[in-house]
Amino acid sequence: MTETIELALKTLEAQLNQPLETALEACARCGLCAESCHYYRAEPKVKHIPAFRAERLRSVYRYEHDFLSRLFPVWTGAKKLDEPTLASLTEIAFSQCTLCRRCTVNCPLGVDTPLMMRAIRAVTTASGTAPEILVMLADAAIEKGKDPSFFKDMFLEQIAEMEEQLRDITGDPTATIPVEKQGAKILYVPLAGAHTILPPAAVFNVAKEDWTLSIFEAANYGVFLADVNRAKQVAKRIVDEANRLGVKEIVIAECGHAYASYRWDVPNWFAGQFDFKVRSLIEVLADYIRDGKIKVDPTAIPEGVTYHDSCNLARNGGLIEEPRYVLKNVVRDFREMTPNRDQAICCGGGGGLVALAEYAERRIAAGKPKAEQIKQTGARIVVAACENCRLQIGDLNERYKLNVQITAITDLVVRAMRLPKPLPGHEAERLFEGEEAAVVRE
Amino acid sequence: MVFFQLLALAGFLAGLYGIYIRYAQTKARAFPADKSPLKGNPSHGIAYAFTKGMMPWAKESTRLHMIAYLRGIGFHIGIFTAIGALIISPFWTLLPSLLSLTLGWALTLGAILGAAGGLMRIVEHNLRGLSIPDDHFAVWLVTVWMAVSAAAVWDEAWMAAYYILSAITMAYVPLGKIRHCLYFFFSRVFFGKFFGRRAVYPHPDVAK
Repeated sequence: MTETIELALKTLEAQLNQPLETALEACARCGLCAESCHYYRAEPKVKHIPAFRAERLRSVYRYEHDFLSRLFPVWTGAKKLDEPTLASLTEIAFSQCTLCRRCTVNCPLGVDTPLMMRAIRAVTTASGTAPEILVMLADAAIEKGKDPSFFKDMFLEQIAEMEEQLRDITGDPTATIPVEKQGAKILYVPLAGAHTILPPAAVFNVAKEDWTLSIFEAANYGVFLADVNRAKQVAKRIVDEANRLGVKEIVIAECGHAYASYRWDVPNWFAGQFDFKVRSLIEVLADYIRDGKIKVDPTAIPEGVTYHDSCNLARNGGLIEEPRYVLKNVVRDFREMTPNRDQAICCGGGGGLVALAEYAERRIAAGKPKAEQIKQTGARIVVAACENCRLQIGDLNERYKLNVQITAITDLVVRAMRLPKPLPGHEAERLFEGEEAAVVRE
Repeated sequence: MVFFQLLALAGFLAGLYGIYIRYAQTKARAFPADKSPLKGNPSHGIAYAFTKGMMPWAKESTRLHMIAYLRGIGFHIGIFTAIGALIISPFWTLLPSLLSLTLGWALTLGAILGAAGGLMRIVEHNLRGLSIPDDHFAVWLVTVWMAVSAAAVWDEAWMAAYYILSAITMAYVPLGKIRHCLYFFFSRVFFGKFFGRRAVYPHPDVAK
């Protein structure tokens, strides 16, 4: 047995808790999960059935843990883990499953196949066979956390420039983007890029919120690697920042995996040091609208709009009605995709797959069912509250000629707030609204 | 007949012990406590997982494969009936004839549904691709056992064969795929806890 295999098996053993063993044992191989997977929908082959994929890990598990399998491996399909099997497991977990859990909610037994895919990811990461780019991105984030002074000055300069834009957009010369504000109520954690800073900043300023911007981004590639150690180190930067500033809550940008991890995993990783509320920006927007802290024009967006449920936000995160509440307040013609909510079809971009160029073709092919769903709505704007989903739908837009505009919820909210100037890149939309918007403003 | 009854009892107890061992092994593994603040209610999630969530119309998969799902449900009801029948088998002669007739037909129906499942595993492309030898063996073993159970309910001549087959079937439960009967309960509980905590299930009824 090579050192890699030994390490892989040791990691699998360490992963083996009650939920994982249950997922490995419960499957009856009934095949009902087939159509729940977007890979199977796009290409109906046995290899794309979630149960088939999971069976690759089960065969290894059985060889190690099952009495009958040790005596008659052929009888139970048990297989000794070797290098080619490990390579095939890596490929399955990182290129054929987005961890969307649609198979789980459609399984009569509730088998958690993504939990098994996560276990494979953990095994491959520990044994050094996980995709290098994800490891590099996670490690870069960890390094960034160790010495923020390395990038902080440049970051503050960029924020100062953005602040000028913000004042221009809001028409408020006092509008600010506070950074490291001690005692602020909210620590807003963006993603990399002004598009996740400027629109929320406009909303926070209009709502007169007591907030501060995180110097770190919410993305956590350790989560995609299922490497709890790395993921914790990445999250620790923000937990420490929140503790240092004494904020009451952390608000996560429109990002699926970041919300799911900070809302549902991080409180477990940092039990005792984590007393903040975690909310998605979407929940905050919904509250502002409900409480009248921001005024939105329900006729502001006349185009047909559809909403894509990010799997991490909806099925895995419970944020199902909040985005709809916001959209129905700012959109005149809201159209649901079918199916939606807990049964929404994954776009194919989750699980870190958009970062893996080597599997891009497979990812875009698997997004076909989502592209068809979008087409069926006839909507002109597709809203996704997750950066990875937006990137993937952008690729689908190009490949399947959807001719749609892809946007975040906050961007539409800002449009509906009728601020004096549009967000950068949104000038054309303002023109598109034409006289209609002017009438409403008057 | 007492010998065969004892044989079946031995098989039954062996199966029960094997399942207990499996249960104890799994329970001995860590269960990660979830300290994240609740959004929904895990208990409601568990209740949903065992009731409304099992309804044929609750999931896209079961709506798409309604007949296959109902066949599976019927097959499993047949199996539990067969286990109940085995437990009371020494007293079958005391059963009212109508009940005896119903029991026989229930077991026959279970066997027919089992045979249909066994054939589907051979004929249907996806199921064939997914199946391992244990899957084929398990479904046919239980199917034949149910058929022989039905035969024994109606004709005492089958009793010896019935008890031998019962012993084999029961003893095999913890060894092969049939042990998913234990993990079904674990799985639905974990499902309910996970999605209940996050307020995904139960979810207010809205148009999908």
